[in-house]
Amino acid sequence: MPALISPSARFDIRSAYSRILQNEQISTPVAAILALVELMENTTAGTMFELVQELKDGAETLKHQSSNSISLNAGTELFIEFVTLFPHEASSFLELKTELIRQGHQYVTEALTYRDKIAQLAFDFIKDGSVILTHSYSRVVMQTLLWAHKRKRISVFVTEARPRGLGIKTAEMLAAAGIPSTVILDSAVAYSMDMVDFVLVGSEAVVESGGLINAVGSNQIAIIAKAANKPFYALAESYKFHRLFPLSQYDLPTHNSKLLSFSVPRGRAHRNSTAKPPTTLPGSSLGSSAVAGVKDSDPPASIKISQEQIARNNPDVDYTRPDLISLVFSDVGSLTPEGVSQYLVGMFAG
Amino acid sequence: MDDVSSGLKSRGLRIFSHFGVPKQLGSGVKGVSDIHPAIIRLGLLFSEFKICGANARCIATLSAFKTVIQDYTTPPNTTLARHLMTYISPQITYLVSARPMSVTMGNAIRQLKLEISGSDIDLPEQDAKDELCQTIDNYIRDRIIIADEVIQDLAGKKIKDGDVVLTFSRSSLVQKILLHAHAEGKRFSVIVIDSRPLNEGKALLKALTSVNPPLPCTYALLSALPSLITEATTVFLGAHSLHSNGAVYSRAGTAIVAMMAKAHGIPVVVSCETYKYSESVMLDGFGKNELAPAKFSPSDPKPNLMLEVLNPLYDVTPPTSITAVVTEVGMIPPSSISSIPLALGVATL
Repeated sequence: MPALISPSARFDIRSAYSRILQNEQISTPVAAILALVELMENTTAGTMFELVQELKDGAETLKHQSSNSISLNAGTELFIEFVTLFPHEASSFLELKTELIRQGHQYVTEALTYRDKIAQLAFDFIKDGSVILTHSYSRVVMQTLLWAHKRKRISVFVTEARPRGLGIKTAEMLAAAGIPSTVILDSAVAYSMDMVDFVLVGSEAVVESGGLINAVGSNQIAIIAKAANKPFYALAESYKFHRLFPLSQYDLPTHNSKLLSFSVPRGRAHRNSTAKPPTTLPGSSLGSSAVAGVKDSDPPASIKISQEQIARNNPDVDYTRPDLISLVFSDVGSLTPEGVSQYLVGMFAG
Repeated sequence: MDDVSSGLKSRGLRIFSHFGVPKQLGSGVKGVSDIHPAIIRLGLLFSEFKICGANARCIATLSAFKTVIQDYTTPPNTTLARHLMTYISPQITYLVSARPMSVTMGNAIRQLKLEISGSDIDLPEQDAKDELCQTIDNYIRDRIIIADEVIQDLAGKKIKDGDVVLTFSRSSLVQKILLHAHAEGKRFSVIVIDSRPLNEGKALLKALTSVNPPLPCTYALLSALPSLITEATTVFLGAHSLHSNGAVYSRAGTAIVAMMAKAHGIPVVVSCETYKYSESVMLDGFGKNELAPAKFSPSDPKPNLMLEVLNPLYDVTPPTSITAVVTEVGMIPPSSISSIPLALGVATL
């Protein structure tokens, strides 16, 4: 943790962020931006350089406390870029700071309308009587489906999205709104794909390559949709566009060597500790006393694997390649994956 | 027999015949005796393949032109801005007769001509010449040297400890990236794939193993690629030029490496400075290519009536085989290469 000697350390950005996040409607990037705006309100920095430095330190602090920081990063980088590129025409630093804070609040107010814009944009792509497949829980997808339900008839398949099971929450909310919906197993996506008209998912982030970072399982669904020739649409607010460029799943910032690692069962460990290599073929079951090197006095090892262990050992998000995505719907319009990079370059080129 | 064979030979190649018969150095250039000695020297170095590689050729050309400009005197009754252009043109034609112009040389010379035509008429001659030499230095510094440093950092982030990086032939930029990542303390190994006739990979191998501590390297020819490709975690390739449809024009063999890597799900990263961008569209390696001169062909069997030896030096890698392109303006997918001018803040490059 960086040692914050500056006076604005008294302003705890982490508690501000947690407080802001309690509002269900605010997503992580917007909450991060609001937290940074609050940091600006409480800062004692006297120059632009100091201010940008404090914002960067604040963003680092937020990043370290969050396990899934990709969308958070998208928001903070966007805001810091905005502050850096803002024209310094104000006569005093205080005026500039006030203007920046005002702009920050204005952006957040506008950002809260993005989901409606996206819902209206996607509405034209939903035909009457569509069967839609969605994954896990996404606020922007929920808003789009609720909006579409007002004028058209739709029915929705929702994947369970283990281990967190957020898909069940989606199905409950859809049922409460009167939309015919059903929860399907994550493993039943291929089974149901021929019944589906198109796939609609939300996003954690949309990246420079035009690919999508979303809850784990999205990549699987995209591959199956491609194989079945069904369109795969991603909904993403523009503050989720990120300049990251993952080359593969394992190039994501959320990937570490502990994920999907193999645990060493006790029987094997014994065998390794004796210097003699096994002269007989090992038995098919671990812990069987027929394995050379395992002492006969050891009871057969019985391993119990818990759901928490599984959840810890598995990734939270995955990366979907751009060639699997048909369109990205955003408040700036409907973009092809190639167009995402053009937009990002234009936004950050300055 | 000789007459018959030479008469039939002069019909030329059956494929790539649209490139014409390879000419002698200096043929077709008006006023060969007026060519500056620095350019003659450069032409000889090009035709002997002593200077090879898009960056090297461009820097050598620009340095030679600096000498030419300094030695130039404006004749009476004309201005530097107008006459220097006509003075330089035959020099350029001479270089092209040695080897077809590279996209890098083309872009650099176009920029130079723009600077010359924009030269202030009222400036004293020496000042105008110094200014031109300064713009040439700035171009080399900004578009090549500093761009390479930015690319080293960006691409270096994609190399992690334990990686096995595969590369083809010798790209000056990939060499810099690998040496920079190694100097930062990253532990990785390199597979260098090489091919005839130029065997440029040997020079890369030498450079990578001469540092202290040396980089662990494997050297193999293109025919060994299928056996080695599964060992690689990332593929880094260089480029001669980048085209607006996202295709990469590079040393012959690059396309094979990229396509095979993509087939095995290995990310392919092409590193390329923005000054290598060409607005043209390239769909295959036939429309534009270069054949290696006869001295690179094996002496046995000798080319005769029934046998021609072809050594195209370049090939085209389609954008679908490339995962990412690293330029000094960032890492971009190949399909949005056309956003480079936007990123640089110019209308055209």
